[in-house]
Amino acid sequence: MSAARWGDVASYALFALLAAFFLLPFAWLGSLAIRTPAEVYLGAARFVPEAPTLDNFGAVLSDRAFLTYLWNGLKLSACGGALALALAIPAAYACSRIPFRGQGAVLVGLLAVQMISPLVILVPLYRWMSTLDLLNLDLSVIAVYGAIGMPLAVWLLKVTFDAIPVELEEAAQIDGASRWMILGRIVLPLARSGLASAFVLTMVMNWSQFLVPFILLERDQDWPISVAIFNFAGSVSASTTQLLAAACLIAVLPAVLVFVALQRMIVTALISGAVKG
Amino acid sequence: MTAARALRERPPGQGQPWPWLLPAVAVLALFYAIPVLDVVRLAFSDATLIAPATGLSLDAMRAILGDPALRKVLATTAIFVAVNVVALQLAGLSIALLIVRGERRGLKGMAAFRTLVLAAWVVPGIANGLIWGLLFDEAPYGTLNSLLGYAGLGPVAWLSDPRMALVSAVIANLWQGTAFSMIVFYAARRGIPPVLYEVAELDAAGPWRTFRSITLPLMRRAIAVNSVLVSVQTLNTFDSILALTGGGPGRATEVLALFTFNTVFYNLDLAGGAVLALLLFAAGMTLTLLIGWIGRDRGAS
Repeated sequence: MSAARWGDVASYALFALLAAFFLLPFAWLGSLAIRTPAEVYLGAARFVPEAPTLDNFGAVLSDRAFLTYLWNGLKLSACGGALALALAIPAAYACSRIPFRGQGAVLVGLLAVQMISPLVILVPLYRWMSTLDLLNLDLSVIAVYGAIGMPLAVWLLKVTFDAIPVELEEAAQIDGASRWMILGRIVLPLARSGLASAFVLTMVMNWSQFLVPFILLERDQDWPISVAIFNFAGSVSASTTQLLAAACLIAVLPAVLVFVALQRMIVTALISGAVKG
Repeated sequence: MTAARALRERPPGQGQPWPWLLPAVAVLALFYAIPVLDVVRLAFSDATLIAPATGLSLDAMRAILGDPALRKVLATTAIFVAVNVVALQLAGLSIALLIVRGERRGLKGMAAFRTLVLAAWVVPGIANGLIWGLLFDEAPYGTLNSLLGYAGLGPVAWLSDPRMALVSAVIANLWQGTAFSMIVFYAARRGIPPVLYEVAELDAAGPWRTFRSITLPLMRRAIAVNSVLVSVQTLNTFDSILALTGGGPGRATEVLALFTFNTVFYNLDLAGGAVLALLLFAAGMTLTLLIGWIGRDRGAS
């Protein structure tokens, strides 16, 4: 066998090892979620339960509150992603098309604020919102999501806009179109996949967000799923492990499925952003 | 004629950028710049979460900086960040290079493998902590301990032993965080002109020699930038640790971000928390300035 073939064998051996590590948590979660309480105590002895049951999912989803948490999570992350995009589009367009002094500073500033932990800014934001009576409002959470997601969106969209030939816009300009019209009619339609990538990425980030809703939303019925499972985990015991597993799986699955379905597009956007950045 | 004038007044690539930048700049000011200034102000006050500041004071700063717990927290944070930065990048780099090699050799399953690593990346931090909590369960039926039992090993005190708990927190973070480094390194490796590798092959350079002479030097900048990004991300991580160990046992896994969170939102010590937040901010910004410095290096060479 040639050296390259031996290399392939070694590669596959390494892949198998790594895949086992990355797969184990998902597989175990799935296994626990379809067990009866008695089978939870069998540990790894019976990875696929003798009588797989969907009762755990039924039990979790029949709780009306749980559906509310899922809906809250979806609502907050989608609106937050949309807001981040709305804030980012004009800035990304200016950074891509209008040369101006301080452009580098704006882009570096956007990169720098991404390094600030939401924890740092939430300390004062919580106080202001508390004073202004803005706690427990979806809008407050959405506004913070917009602010947290905007910098990444500007970077991704700038790279997308840079890739669109400027000649198309020049032609429209000669026809007397304003910049806003050009943006809306020509640039944005051509930037569809970049816009979609930025939206999905910010939305997935928001779905994972725990700190912001945990601090700004005090009422249980307003919580998104990420806060709800944390709270739920505090109330489970050994005999309800299978329910926690089912709840975790339900919380994780939407983000993973959306991301996996769209990963080719998103990874391409991230890679071109990484190369430019 | 009007069209020509329009073109002269607003030639492509000209115009006022500020109306376009206004929303983004306003958000930067309102949600980042002013809050950070407010954190500085609070750090020099005696405010609690329920009572406003009564005046300037250094008491809170003295109290929190003199807190013996802080020293322990900072040591834990340094270990957690340092180990993660090395481990995440080694894992990310190995996987990226393996995938690139696999793609070149036409091996099957590369896309599926990449998808699996990315799937772990989008798991919410809280869920990450809860899932690994199930895996590290120390009861006889816990995943890892029952698996180790088959090999005649263990049981391991994954979460109840202070040292092991930190190792467990690193493992959970590695599972979730590797994907980021993988993407960055994959992009950087794909950016290296293939012709360099063809030349190396003509020179009969072995894989290790090729890696040391071509891959590593040309990826040095990506590795440098990524080290900083990963350090800051790890520094700011706390929700997965909160769900996995809650910072325990004792303070064994309480990193600076979690300590800040607990100080403000459990102890309601706003002034003390602001001091910690400032530390967190300063550490993050120092690391970020490093990126700028590395980036400038590129222009020079």
